[in-house]
Order: sequence, then structure tokens, then C-alpha cells
Amino acid sequence: MVDMPLLLAVVAILTLGLVNLYSATSVYIDDESRARLADIYVTQIYWIVVGAMLAILVAAVDYRHYERVAPVLYAGGMVSLGLVFILGRDIRGSSRWIQLGSFAFQPSEFMKIFLILMVAKFVHNDARTEPRSLVDLAPVALMILAPVTAVMAQPDLGTSLIYLLTALSMVAMMRIRVFSVLSLIGTGAVSLPLAWTFVMRDYQKHRITSFLNPEADKTGTGWHALQSQTAIGNGQFSGEGFMQGTQNQFGFLPEQYSDFPFAVFSEDWGFLGAVLLIGLYAFVCVWAIHVASQAKDRFGAALAVGVGAMLFWHAVFNIGMATGVLPVVGITLPLFSYGGSSVLTMLMGLGLLMNVSMRR
Amino acid sequence: MGMLCGLLALGLGLVVSAGWDLMIGDGAAWRELAESQRQRRLHVAPKRGGVYDRNGSALAVSVEVPSVSLDAVELLRGVPSQQVPVVARQAANAIAAVLGIDAAQVERRILAKHRFAWLKRQISALEADKIRALSADAPEDRRIHGLVVEGEGRRYYPRRELAGPLLGFVAPDGEGKDGLEYALNDDLKGNAEQLKGLRDRSGRLLFSDGIEDDRAFAGHNLYLTIDQGIQYVAEHELQAAARTFEATGGSVVVVNPNTGEILALASFPTFNPNDYTESQPEQRRDRAMSDVFEPGSTMKMFTVAAGLTSGVITPTQKMYCEKGVMQIDNVTIRDTHPSEWLTIPQILAVSSNICAAKIGLGMGESKLYEAFRRFGFGQESGLPFAGEAPGTLRPRSRPWVQVETASAAFGQGIGVTNMQMAMAAAAIANGGELMEPLLVRKVSTSAGEVVREVSPHVRRRVIPKDVARAVSEMLVAVTEGDGTGTEAVVDGYRVAGKTGTAQKTDPKTGRYSIDKYIASFVGFVPAEKPIVAIAVTIDEPMVEHAGGAVAAPIFRHVAQMALKLAGLTPKTSDHTDVAVLARTPDPANIAYEALREAQGKKPAVQEVLATGAVSPGKVRIPNLTGVPARQAMKQMIEIGLTPHIAGSGLIVTQQPPPGSVVDAKSEVLLILEPAT
Repeated sequence: MVDMPLLLAVVAILTLGLVNLYSATSVYIDDESRARLADIYVTQIYWIVVGAMLAILVAAVDYRHYERVAPVLYAGGMVSLGLVFILGRDIRGSSRWIQLGSFAFQPSEFMKIFLILMVAKFVHNDARTEPRSLVDLAPVALMILAPVTAVMAQPDLGTSLIYLLTALSMVAMMRIRVFSVLSLIGTGAVSLPLAWTFVMRDYQKHRITSFLNPEADKTGTGWHALQSQTAIGNGQFSGEGFMQGTQNQFGFLPEQYSDFPFAVFSEDWGFLGAVLLIGLYAFVCVWAIHVASQAKDRFGAALAVGVGAMLFWHAVFNIGMATGVLPVVGITLPLFSYGGSSVLTMLMGLGLLMNVSMRR
Repeated sequence: MGMLCGLLALGLGLVVSAGWDLMIGDGAAWRELAESQRQRRLHVAPKRGGVYDRNGSALAVSVEVPSVSLDAVELLRGVPSQQVPVVARQAANAIAAVLGIDAAQVERRILAKHRFAWLKRQISALEADKIRALSADAPEDRRIHGLVVEGEGRRYYPRRELAGPLLGFVAPDGEGKDGLEYALNDDLKGNAEQLKGLRDRSGRLLFSDGIEDDRAFAGHNLYLTIDQGIQYVAEHELQAAARTFEATGGSVVVVNPNTGEILALASFPTFNPNDYTESQPEQRRDRAMSDVFEPGSTMKMFTVAAGLTSGVITPTQKMYCEKGVMQIDNVTIRDTHPSEWLTIPQILAVSSNICAAKIGLGMGESKLYEAFRRFGFGQESGLPFAGEAPGTLRPRSRPWVQVETASAAFGQGIGVTNMQMAMAAAAIANGGELMEPLLVRKVSTSAGEVVREVSPHVRRRVIPKDVARAVSEMLVAVTEGDGTGTEAVVDGYRVAGKTGTAQKTDPKTGRYSIDKYIASFVGFVPAEKPIVAIAVTIDEPMVEHAGGAVAAPIFRHVAQMALKLAGLTPKTSDHTDVAVLARTPDPANIAYEALREAQGKKPAVQEVLATGAVSPGKVRIPNLTGVPARQAMKQMIEIGLTPHIAGSGLIVTQQPPPGSVVDAKSEVLLILEPAT
């Protein structure tokens, strides 16, 4: 049986996303800009069609078969992450893409699914009920840190954060010793300043400092956040109307179709629209937990939680950075942002969730 | 699971509350910020309306001239802070080299990081091209961002000095200063209020659909009652006379007495509004409306009209003029032509102060004052013109004492403007109605829609029709026979008018100056059915000061032009020698040709003088030996030369000598000796 509530919610988000993309790319600036942006939402439709077919494919095969292929997929994902450093295409100072024929794709996106599968397999196989120690968690920690490190080195802070948070959300399903949790927090507290000094790149630091004080840098990174907040605030309660959001229409909003579609949406539809959209995301997340609680086995439950967590962290980070409560780290808004790899990954993930839901 | 639900609730709360804060909590502030971004640089002024004469010839128009401005924030966008000084220096040097301005100043402007600053207003096309080569047309890596070239309205006066003080000028901030540009600034300026210009990030002006036609904001066009041709002749003659007689100033007002339309409003000295920075405030003042003077004898026509209206005198009676001397309260009033018994027309023709004073005294203070008020003296005419003086009838702010009443009756001790003079004379000309003076005939939008149209308006009836007719006939006597105004006669027409030669009060002593006069002539033509009333005032003519000699010829020339333009043909007069007419060039023709030339058209007839052709722009000096001064000057002015006179009597020597070919408008020295 197809999970109708989930399907309807996803179709609703996809529809709003396309409508919003149309508004975001029909800017009133000049013919040149309009022509440049004209194809974007059409391309997005192609990706959604391809993604939907992939999702059906993913949902058709019983998810329990994926448990066995998970290590293979994970390994393949790690290899492609490694290939990025060799074949990668440099975009704005970081190599995230691999050119495959006429398509460029982002291995780090697909790795999200492979990581969820791998961690779910770990959760499934460790069926103990007593709290786990750090030693018990060491394998899963390695499993997570390997892609996190690889992606951080690209460098792509946003995606590594998503890996970390999604996987940790899944690990949180297991009981862990209080001491272990405390020592993990302690390690984090020590390693963050070290990471700041030795690991993070200048532009990443810049993003975070400008997030903490956006007024200080109105022309650079902080400018993006400020413009996004301006557009959202300009929407007020009921919005300026479809394709009437002036900040977007007059080109003040940067990255309006990739990083800040939420700003376009909020400016057009106001607080009402924003709450509706957030409500749809929240529904999918709650539904994922609901599916997890009814899943036949721990693998299925972990998969559902993983997909829900992935969606949740994407949405929270993207909306958080658009509204200025979180730093701008380049995390897409699920099914809203333009981008093939992102759309395919999200739809495949939702196919997995549908898979688990159909076989409760 | 509980932990996950908690996290979910936390994340949800975070984003919803963030959205609430932005859109509802501080929504108004963010919207304000958004609006300020879109409407940041609302400096493009709407196109200023044009000013046209009654036939649609342009007197003032606005043309788009490019100006270059700087958006320093845009220029420095993406430049790392340690490189800002270097980038700013390089950009400033490049910009300064192109525009020929101070590089240090440009650098300061860049470092000030303002979103908008003018770099140079009204640049040449070449400079604009070079700026584009630095910015929009440059390769991406060497492009200077934030340079904006856009059209800015520049005021252009195609007729240069023509009607300069009347028109005024426009300051660089787009506000009209002086004249009609100031008085009707709100009409001309356009509707900046409606111009909620929306701008995109790069500063381009965007209009939402429906208001894209920027004519919607453009200023209104003014169509004046002024006739460019009459205005030209009035200015030309006024200027020539002022030069000849070495006057400090003067004005000519030409009005259609039947409608109150001002056909010309000339003022001397004048200025070229295109180069207003090179002019002095006294050149920009419109003397016809701003200068108050003691009118002198021209006032007598209104005294007579008032006397006839009140019944103190009758048209046929005779008055005793006291043999030229009359005593009033220890003050002696004198006439230049002592007389005994004079008819009322004779009183005007010889301009008797004593008889005028007797009419005034006969009416009494309040009646005379009231009559002058009814003619429009002592109050503003209601023209849309800043700085119009109301004049003063009672300078001491109390009713006149007897001697003041007597003086006022012959135009002394009171202050009037030349505009008031013209309108009052027009009231006599049109049969006794004071018209409202009209300067602006029509105001229309740039799309041609009429905003308002002005129609003639009678302010009040001043004198009965029969009195007006009678006074008109009496004024014809002034320009006939032994009258003082014979120089005003236009061949073939009967001219009604009155001369005035008023001594000026010396501001130092408070007494009448012995060498400073105001020469004037006020009249209308044709006397029986006037189509034009003209008031001429010349301030402080030095060479000659009689109104009949200085001001009356200007009246004649202007009237000739007005009659010609009105399509009237002179009645053949009995004593006109046709041969003489054929030989002497018609002054109106000369002025007409000069006007055509000024308008860039080929003159219809090349001016050829008696002794062989000379190249255009040159004239041959005629031999004037033995000719009286006045006639010589007249002849010189008519062929476009500026005579200077030394001595008195008949001309004995000329410099340059007769027959020499000189540039038009050259100065010629005429030396005179008394006839033996």
C-alpha cells in the first residue's frame, strides 16, 4: 500500500517548490538576466521526473535487501568522494563536482543516502539493550567521520554538518552511557577551537564571524544574510504576492534559487506561507518518526529516522540561515532549492522512507 | 525516540520563531529597509517642461545631458579590506584622468563609501564614452564598478538673451530661479512625488507597468502670451536706445488692450540664461515689474480721465494755467511751456503741470487717490511673477496733503511700475476696462493635455466708455503738430500717447536730481481702435532725457512691428512722400530681417546701401555732415551702428570717416558744432 499522507505531503512541497522557483527566476531586472534564468525551473522539472522514477525504483525493492548492499554502496561513495579531489571541478574555491559526460554531479549528495544505509545497518546489527560505551560506538564513529572528513576537505562545511547531525540522530536511537555522552560533549568542546585554528578555511571562518556580526560586513558574506532577512521581513504577514516580492524581483536577493528560495517564498507569501511550508516539512519529519515506530525491524526504523533527520536538518539549517539565526553554510532547502544532485538525493531518501512505510 | 521528538520540536520552534521575528515582530523595519534599497537613488529629476511663445516657438527647453555619478559601495564590493586603499587610488586616478577633475577628491569620495555621489555633472559625449570604456565596456577583470552615466536635464534657451529676465534660469539642482522659471516652478518641474522610482541592485531605474511612460512625471509646458517677434523688436530697440542715450536701464511692456495679454516684456540690461553664472542680479531683474519709479507727465492722462469721470472738468472747457508759475503751500509749481488759457487736449499736448495739479486739487485727495487705485496703481497686477512691486501711491502711509495731491496729479511723489502704466493705458485704450494682465496663455502636460487655459478677465470698469474715447482723442493731439510725442507716430496710423520726463530723486539728498531723469512714453495705436498698448521707460538717459526724444521712437518701432504682425496696413497719409518712403529703409523691416537672421533663416532681402553692396554683417557709414544730431542718430541706429555724440548742433566730423565699411553694431563718434 502506498503511504498516501507521505506522498501528498511530498507532492505538495514539490509543487510549492516549482512555483517558487518560477517566481525566483522571473526577475524583473532585464532581458539578459531573465534569459539566463529562464531555463532553470524547466531543468528542475526534468530532475524531479528523474528523481521520482528513481524513488519508485528505490521503493519497489524491499528495503531489507539494501542492508546487504549497504557496505558496497558506502565504499563506492567513499571512492567517488576521493575521486572529487582528482577529477573535481572547481566552483567558488571548492571542488564538489564530478563531470560525467554532460552531467556534473555531486558525490557528496548521494553519500548522504549511503551513510544513512550504513549507519542503519550498524544500528540494526547491534541489538543489545544495555547502554553502550565509547568503545562500542567506535566503529560507527569511524563510519561517520570518514565521509565527514573527506567532505570537510573539499571544503564543504554544510554537507559535513549534515552527515554528522543525520548520523548522530540515528545513533541517538541507541542507548548510550551517560559518561560516554558527557565525554563526547567534552571532546567536542576541545576539538571545536582546534578545528577553528587548524581545519577550517578562511572563507568558512569568515562566514561564521560575519554571521555573528552581519552588520560589520554588509558588502560580503553578511550581505547575503542581510538581503535574505530583508526579503523575508518585507513579506510581513501575508506577503507581497506571487512574483511580486520586490527584493527578489529587483535582484537584491543573491543565490535566490539555490541557497535562499525560502526568502523568495516568504517575500511572496508572507508569514502565512512560511508557516505552511514549515508545517509541511514538520509533517514529513513527524511522519518519518511515526513510520520508524511501526517499522518491522531496527533497520527499517533507523532508515526512517535517518531520512527524516536528513530532511529535518536540511530544512532547519536552510531556513535558519535564511532568517539569520544560523550561519550561511550553503545547505539546500529540500525539494525547493534548484539542483539535480540535491533533488535526486532527497527523492531517493523519500523513496526509502516510502519503502519502509509500505512494509510496516 | 523522545530525544528525536524533542529535537524536532526545538528545530521547529527555532525556525518558526525566527520567521515570526522577521516578518511580524520587526517586519515593518525590514520592509522599510527593503524600500530604502529599492528607492535609494531617486535623484533623476523628471523632465522640466518647456516655455513657448504664443506661436509655439521655444523660449526654454530641457535637453538630456549625461552626468556621471559614483556608487562607492558597488565600486568596492568584494575588495578585501587591505586592498581598498590601492583599488581606490587606481580607480580615482583613472576616473580623474578621464573627467579632468581632482584625483584626490575622487579618492575621498570612493573611501567615503556612499551609495551615491555626483562625480561630474553635464559631461561631454566624449567623456561619457570614456567613462563607459572604464566601466560597462571594460573587460570584467579591469572594470570599475559603480560608475553610472545617466541623462540629466539641462536647461537650454535657444533664443539666448531673448526675454532673459522674464524667463529667469534654472539652477543645477533643478529649481527655477528668477522670472517665470521661479514663479511657475511647480508647473515646470514635474511631479517628483509620483516618481517613486524603483531601482534594482545595479541602480537601473525600473518602472512597474503602466507608468513606464516617463512623460507622466514630466513638467508642464507653458505657452506664454509673449510674441517672440514683438519681444525681439522691443528688446532690440530698447537696447539700442539705452546704448545711444547711455541709459542705465529701461523696460518696454507691450499689451493687447482688448485681452490683457502681454505681447512683450523687455527689460534692459538683460542676460543670457544659458550663462546665468556670468550675470549680475541687476541684469536678471525684470525691470518692468520690479522697478518702481515716479512716472511724471504720463500720469496726467489718468488725472484727466479721472477729472472727466468725476465731472470736475468737461472735454470742451478751457483752464487757466497761471502763466507757468503756481504757489501751493510755499511750494512753487512750474511749467516748461508757460501758458494762460488751454483746452484739456492742449494741457496734455504741452504737458502742463499746473493745470494737471488744478484738476487734481479740484477732485480732492480721496477722489484722486481712489481713481489712481482703480487704474491699478499701488497694487500688484496679479501676474504669476515673484518680485512684482506694488508701487506706492501714498509713500507716507497717510492721505496726501494738498501739495502732495497736486504733485500726484502730474505724476510726482508717487511710485508706479511700467507694467501698471501699460495696463492703465490699456484700460483707456479698450474703452475703460482694467484687464487682468496675462502672461501665460495655456499650461499643458507634456502629452499635450491642457491643464489650464487662461481667458481674458476684466478686473473692473475704471472709466466710462465716452470718457475713454475722449481721452484717447486728446492723446492723439500729443503726437500731432506741436505735441511732445511726435516721434511716436507710426506712418499711416493715429497714435494716442503721452510723454514723460521725470526727474529722479537723489537717494543721498532726498531732493530731485538735476541730471538723472526717467524718460517715458505710454500710448496705444491705432487710436480709434487700439490693438496694442505700449509703455516705454528709460532709466537715467544721459545724452538726452526728454521722453519724446528717448522713449517715443522705441514706441514707434515696436508699434510698427506689432501692427505688421497683426496684419494691419497703414492708411495712406496725405503728407507722406512716397519717394522718401522708398529710399529710407523701413525700421520695422530692418528689425524683421534681423529677427529672421537671428532665427537662422536667410534674410528675404539683402540690405544694400546707396553706394554699392557690402558683405553681410558689414555696413557703410553714410555721410552725415551738416545733419542735426537727432536725425543723425536715428539714421545711424537704423543701419545698426551705435553713435556717440560730442558737442551740440550740426555734425561736422565723423570717426570713422563717411564711406568706410565697418562691422554692424560698431561705434561711430559724431562731433557736432552749433550752426552758424
